[in-house]
Amino acid sequence: MAGLCFLPFCLWMPAWLPHALLVSLWYYLWIAPKLLLLILGSLMYRRGLHREFPVFFVYLAFQVLQSAVLWAHPVFDDTYMRLFSGGVAVSSALRFGVIYEVFRHLFRSYPTLTETGIMLFRGVTLLLLVAGVALAALVPGRSVNTLMLGTNTLDRTVSLLQCGLLLFLFAFSRYFALSLKSRAFGIALGLGSYASVQLAISAVLLYLGSGRSPIVNLLSMATYHCCVVVWMFYMLTPERKPSISVMKLPAHDLDMWNRELQRLLQQQ
Amino acid sequence: MIITPILIVVLAVLGLLAILWLAKSLVLVPRLPEDPAAHMRSVDVEAFRNLVDPAEALFLRSSLSPRQFRKIQRERLQAAVEYVSGAAHNAAILLRIGQAARLSADPATAEAARKLVDNAIQLRLYSLKAITRLYLAMLLPATPISPAPLAERYEQMTRLVVLLGCLQYPTRGISAAL
Repeated sequence: MAGLCFLPFCLWMPAWLPHALLVSLWYYLWIAPKLLLLILGSLMYRRGLHREFPVFFVYLAFQVLQSAVLWAHPVFDDTYMRLFSGGVAVSSALRFGVIYEVFRHLFRSYPTLTETGIMLFRGVTLLLLVAGVALAALVPGRSVNTLMLGTNTLDRTVSLLQCGLLLFLFAFSRYFALSLKSRAFGIALGLGSYASVQLAISAVLLYLGSGRSPIVNLLSMATYHCCVVVWMFYMLTPERKPSISVMKLPAHDLDMWNRELQRLLQQQ
Repeated sequence: MIITPILIVVLAVLGLLAILWLAKSLVLVPRLPEDPAAHMRSVDVEAFRNLVDPAEALFLRSSLSPRQFRKIQRERLQAAVEYVSGAAHNAAILLRIGQAARLSADPATAEAARKLVDNAIQLRLYSLKAITRLYLAMLLPATPISPAPLAERYEQMTRLVVLLGCLQYPTRGISAAL
């Protein structure tokens, strides 16, 4: 998202980098991910995957729509800035919805975990929210533009929350040896990587000030591009199923288990 | 002032590395080890019950000096933690076996596997709580410990494994799985 504010600062690039190359790269990183999202969205629709991941589908549609709207406006006028900030807010909210959707997919396969999982999910969200708000209050950042300052603060808080939540999701799945369906896994992986890089970028912007770091913005855009490629890969490849051909029951401990079974039968 | 951004960057990089590492390990989860038995740990449920039995602790408290009791009790709780960790480890392996067997075409096998998965998940959950309580009891000896559900759950899980074995190898019965 930060990359959308890059264009006016193209002249501020390091001298050793060819200007034309950077401008081309910037245009590529702005347009290519959105085109890929458009393709992904239409393929999801054709395959009926929009019913399986409705929030993710809405998020993709919103990203494409936002880019089209911003493209039509002159960069850095008031309307553009308002649209950009509003877009960041809506995208952030939708990303939370996507994370919740991934959690729901995980719990659907394991009903035993639903209650505990939701309780832990809420607890971790609350904890991260407190940390994010405290960070925003203690280190407000700096920018001449109040709207941009607010947008960056929101972006930083949201990135912290989303990075933490997705880390929790992966740690939770690993502890309980749960197998995430590959599509939900791909969404979480892409979003988690993007959120953590975005958190680092927001910290750098905190020091440099927003709008004065084109390289950082390019990095953000490149990460988003990678994230979209990850989504495409996992969404368009068929779901993998665990093999049952190697089923072999452990013999170790089974004599004791058998004794326990006999004991139980005797009790009954 | 520069410290905070550096800290956030370090935190974010660690977060990214953790996500990638966990994601990699999750991708490998469905692959069962060639011989799960070799990866299982021995768990003596009766010994575990004895270690966390409040009556046993009361008896030791009355027979030993307070210093000796604290030392012995800490060692007993440490041993109980080892048992719980072993049970949780075995549950993780059985969980994977159960997950693979859930896809079986035979409804009875699939149902037994589903129950095994549920039990193994609950055992992992209980063991998390039990280990926290056991460590707490090591620090504060007055803390009540009641990991009895864990032993019950482990027994239930082992019975389900035997049942799953019977369903998968019907001609050989339980003894064939031994």
